[in-house]
Amino acid sequence: MTSIPMLPAILVDMVGSFIIIILSFLSLRYAWLLIRKQPDNFLWGFLFYFCLTLVCFSVSRAVGHLLKQIFLIFNNKDQWQVLAPYSGGFNTLLMISLAAVSIYYHKGIEGFRAIQQKARSLKEANEQLEVSADKLLRLNVDLEGIVETRTMKLAASEKKFRNFFSNSKDMVYFCNASNRLVNMNSAGLDMLGYSMEEEPELSLHQVFCNEEDLDNYFETIVSVGFVEDLEAEFVRADGTVIYVLLSATALFDEDREFVGCEGIAKDLTRVRTMMEQLASSEKMASVGQMAAGVAHEINTPLGVILGYSQLMMDDFSPESEEGQSLQVIERQAKACRKIVADLLKFSRQSESARENIMVYEVLEDVLAVTEHTLSMDHIHVHRDLDENIPTIVGDTEKLRQVFVNFINNAHHAMEEQGSGDLFLSCHYEEAANQVVATIRDTGHGIPTEVVAKIFDPFFTTKSVGKGTGLGLSVSYGIIQEHGGTIDVESPAKRDDGEPKGTAFHVRFPVTLRESASVKK
Amino acid sequence: MNLVNSTHRMSPFLLLLTLTVFPGNAWAVQSHGAPEGLYVHQLAHVFFTAALCYLIWGIRQSAFKSRGWRFLQIFCVFMALWNVVAFTGHSLASYVDNAHFIREGGYLTTRLEGPFTSVKLLFYFTKLDHLFSVPALLFLYLAMKGIYKSSCEVEEI
Repeated sequence: MTSIPMLPAILVDMVGSFIIIILSFLSLRYAWLLIRKQPDNFLWGFLFYFCLTLVCFSVSRAVGHLLKQIFLIFNNKDQWQVLAPYSGGFNTLLMISLAAVSIYYHKGIEGFRAIQQKARSLKEANEQLEVSADKLLRLNVDLEGIVETRTMKLAASEKKFRNFFSNSKDMVYFCNASNRLVNMNSAGLDMLGYSMEEEPELSLHQVFCNEEDLDNYFETIVSVGFVEDLEAEFVRADGTVIYVLLSATALFDEDREFVGCEGIAKDLTRVRTMMEQLASSEKMASVGQMAAGVAHEINTPLGVILGYSQLMMDDFSPESEEGQSLQVIERQAKACRKIVADLLKFSRQSESARENIMVYEVLEDVLAVTEHTLSMDHIHVHRDLDENIPTIVGDTEKLRQVFVNFINNAHHAMEEQGSGDLFLSCHYEEAANQVVATIRDTGHGIPTEVVAKIFDPFFTTKSVGKGTGLGLSVSYGIIQEHGGTIDVESPAKRDDGEPKGTAFHVRFPVTLRESASVKK
Repeated sequence: MNLVNSTHRMSPFLLLLTLTVFPGNAWAVQSHGAPEGLYVHQLAHVFFTAALCYLIWGIRQSAFKSRGWRFLQIFCVFMALWNVVAFTGHSLASYVDNAHFIREGGYLTTRLEGPFTSVKLLFYFTKLDHLFSVPALLFLYLAMKGIYKSSCEVEEI
């Protein structure tokens, strides 16, 4: 073979050029579809521009090649030589562009990856943020619920303790470090004789009656932290004293500094009075038993002394010295017997009648006997006797003796001042179902220190010989026997407001009994 | 006065205009001979080949493992080979002139005359460069189609 035909090369060139144009456009189509689907995707953008540049290059080159073959086939070599530099220039230019686009890939993909990484990080951060926001939202919702529940519980608790504070029948108070009472419930103010409307500014110094008690209170509360069952006396607004049982706790701040105290005080005045009365009753009962025993023992020898002295009086003339002495013995023996009889009455050992009595009638009877004597000493009697009162059951004679005792005492209390007023009242207290008789004088009154002793046997403030000290104790025994009580008020309140003198309030229970006398 | 100031300010531009209208010998501009175009073209082939190799490396670095991206790498290989063939063809053109061809009739009857040296045979082979460029474009088409399909599948997922 001496030569090789160029025809196959010419055909390959022409057909290949044509196929290249077709394939480059088909590639560009898919690149276009990709970029249209995801315009923001860098890779698709790169592939699109790569394919676009390749299409330009392929078209430039393939068209150049086809034109060359066509021109040469049709013997237009000159024309092709004119066109050839342009075709070559374009091919060169587009080839360089294609190379430039290819180089751009790596840096572009790095940037794209960096952006993707950032986007992924951002997405993860957003997801975490969403999760956090969701958690926060749930927490917020839960928190709202918790806060609502806690608030309700707090409100319920506050209401409970507020009710306890307000409705407590004992004094509840809060005090600051300077002893100032910053809060006190209405029961406490009522106990001290103030009203809520007054809003009094009180301190413990004003409330405590004894400075010593207050010092004791503070020393204990600061050193121990609390005070338990401290017995103290409080001063009321009107100056009267009440007896309280106090328990308090110290309040400290975060630095353990004393900032105040809170406490509860219970008014035990009534309890204390009752205890004193009970103690007094027990004392009187034991004294009565002793007196009864003594009276019984003395009564027999006294009867013998009186009997023998009277027998001996028959043997001697009354004017004789012996007769005189025997009269003295007889008189003193009788006096002793009267004392013994009084002691027996006090100890309720004597016999009693049981009959229906109108108390005002007894008072009238007593006044009928004593009024003349009273008027002699310029003592005016004022009656306030209610006749529409129920009867009580008792011994009229003994009750007369009681009222005589009271009136005599009143008389003695007023006779020194030369005049006075004696008030007698009798009325029915329906609520307590009691008949109350009151004997009030305008005398010198009973000193506070002896008020508790006036019912003791043989206790008297009178001079020797004027009183035996058995009058009030006998009266006490009789009233006890009738189921009644005696209250002493000294100084006694008067209608004009100024307290003076003494008042005895005798209370009898009203019980329905037959009018017939009964022997006990 | 204003006219004088304006003329003073415009003087550099007027000088430039004068030089433009009367150019004389523009010595600053370098003249280019005919071979320069061939060199630029050949350098473009080298540059393109290098860019394709860089693209292959870049794709492999990107760790795109799908079929489409594999086809794109094959495209790059074929295009790089085509560049080598084309570069060789352009280089050998100066060794094979019209005297080595005989023509009995028209252009289509042109034949490469013997005796056949390696240069002649290689030159003939380089004339068949479409045997590389067509497969390259075919793989580019397959690559784009594959990438598009993959993106559609990913979207469906």
